Amino acid sequence: MTQTPSRIVLACCAMLFVGLAGGAAVLGAGAAQPDTPSPLSLDDLAALDALIEEDEVTDDSLVEFDAGALVDVTLLAAVLGFALYSFKRRSESLKLVSWLLSIGYLGFYKASLVSVVDIFGALRGSLPAFQDGQAYYLLIAFTLASTVLWGRLYCGRICAFGALTQLMDRIIPSRFRIDPPAWLDKRLVYLKYVVLGTAVLYFLASGDTLVYRYIEPFWMFTRNGNALMWTLLAVLLLATVFVRNLYCRYLCSVGAGLGLLSNLTVFKIKRWGECSTCKLCEKTCEWGAINGPKILVSECVRCDDCERLYADEDQCPHWLIQKHVARHTPRVV
Amino acid sequence: MSARTFPLLVCVLAVAAVGARAQPAAVTEADEAALRRLIPQADTFELVETDSRHFRAYARPQPESEPTLVGLAFFTTDITPRVYAYKGRITMLVALDLAGTVTGVRVVHHYEPFGYFSIDMPKFPKQFKGKHVLDPLEVGQDIDGVSRASITVEAATRAIRQGARRLTREFLAEQAADR
Repeated sequence: MTQTPSRIVLACCAMLFVGLAGGAAVLGAGAAQPDTPSPLSLDDLAALDALIEEDEVTDDSLVEFDAGALVDVTLLAAVLGFALYSFKRRSESLKLVSWLLSIGYLGFYKASLVSVVDIFGALRGSLPAFQDGQAYYLLIAFTLASTVLWGRLYCGRICAFGALTQLMDRIIPSRFRIDPPAWLDKRLVYLKYVVLGTAVLYFLASGDTLVYRYIEPFWMFTRNGNALMWTLLAVLLLATVFVRNLYCRYLCSVGAGLGLLSNLTVFKIKRWGECSTCKLCEKTCEWGAINGPKILVSECVRCDDCERLYADEDQCPHWLIQKHVARHTPRVV
Repeated sequence: MSARTFPLLVCVLAVAAVGARAQPAAVTEADEAALRRLIPQADTFELVETDSRHFRAYARPQPESEPTLVGLAFFTTDITPRVYAYKGRITMLVALDLAGTVTGVRVVHHYEPFGYFSIDMPKFPKQFKGKHVLDPLEVGQDIDGVSRASITVEAATRAIRQGARRLTREFLAEQAADR
């Protein structure tokens, strides 16, 4: 194997050419070369380092609003704010508007409701990143805060499925309605805690979050389910025609969680002294949340039906007795 | 040494060097099937268990020639396991060429109930194809968002962006060290 000088020159030329071509490729890294990938240079390594670091900084910063998030948060705040306003005004018609907003915006438009999966996520620390879900965190924060302040307000006004079934109850003629007897109702309300407990235990044992599909119907707003899910939903809605708010009262695991939290309720519903003997509110309550003189906070969704009655001077015995006493007591001047 | 055997030797040494560091592990059948769909020009795949667990794809231009590295691929859940979407992690297989260009994305598995409206639609993974790791790769800039599923789309995009950048950085640093 002898190498002539001309072959060496040829080899050198070839190496020089390869080197030049390589250099040109590196220089042209930014240029459009869709077919032959140009190798990345060390400069790109530095650029990558900077980008990766920047990304991690954004991860940590909490106040990173983009336009989309701002719109999301504003609209959600408006819906939540209106719900609070309707609650504070104790207005039946405003509550109806609030339901429609929840069904339309939180339901069919955003398909974003508090779910048992959020409880799973909190348990294993796998909640969404804050910068991806500012609106989501606003909803969670509102739900927790309003539950501690007033009780299960979320269930009564914000939850799109709850709003939907309550609206169904207004539309469906009452002759279809079957009210479970008190002894049964008293026991059935604990079923939702069993559902929640079982779901949490199952999740902790298996790590499977998909169980939400079969224990809550909130996915319906995405109109994206399998045959079994749609069948279960149809059965549930049909049953709700006869037993109002069936899901919320007996089956909802989120309601169970909020029910536990609502034991801390700060601003409770006032009761008159007369409430110990009067059954008017107890009979009116759609939620079975009144038992004699007591209000079961974990069942009450702050629908305001009883509070409107308290204020009604023509119906509530508290005012009737006062008027009666006033009429029959001789005035002492 | 002939002019023909020299490049061959370099290739063999390069593969040996990669092999020595990479501690190749078995690629499961399911992973290989997914990889083959994403990088059709590759013949063999190798699993590399580094800080950024990933796959390397090799192709033989001719049946008798040595396989050459043609691409990298990774599962987002391996490199960015802490990126959570609305209902947990989104498992995606992302393929890169050696120049840091995304050559394909496949959504493998997720729990998102809103999937149908966002990442399950072919147009979500498709829009990453041909984008470079130095591109913004951000929802609202060069990636389309879907209002209904912002959490899902944002998290999926971040997992792809951060994973692709980290793997490319690791690969580049390794190449620089070899030089």
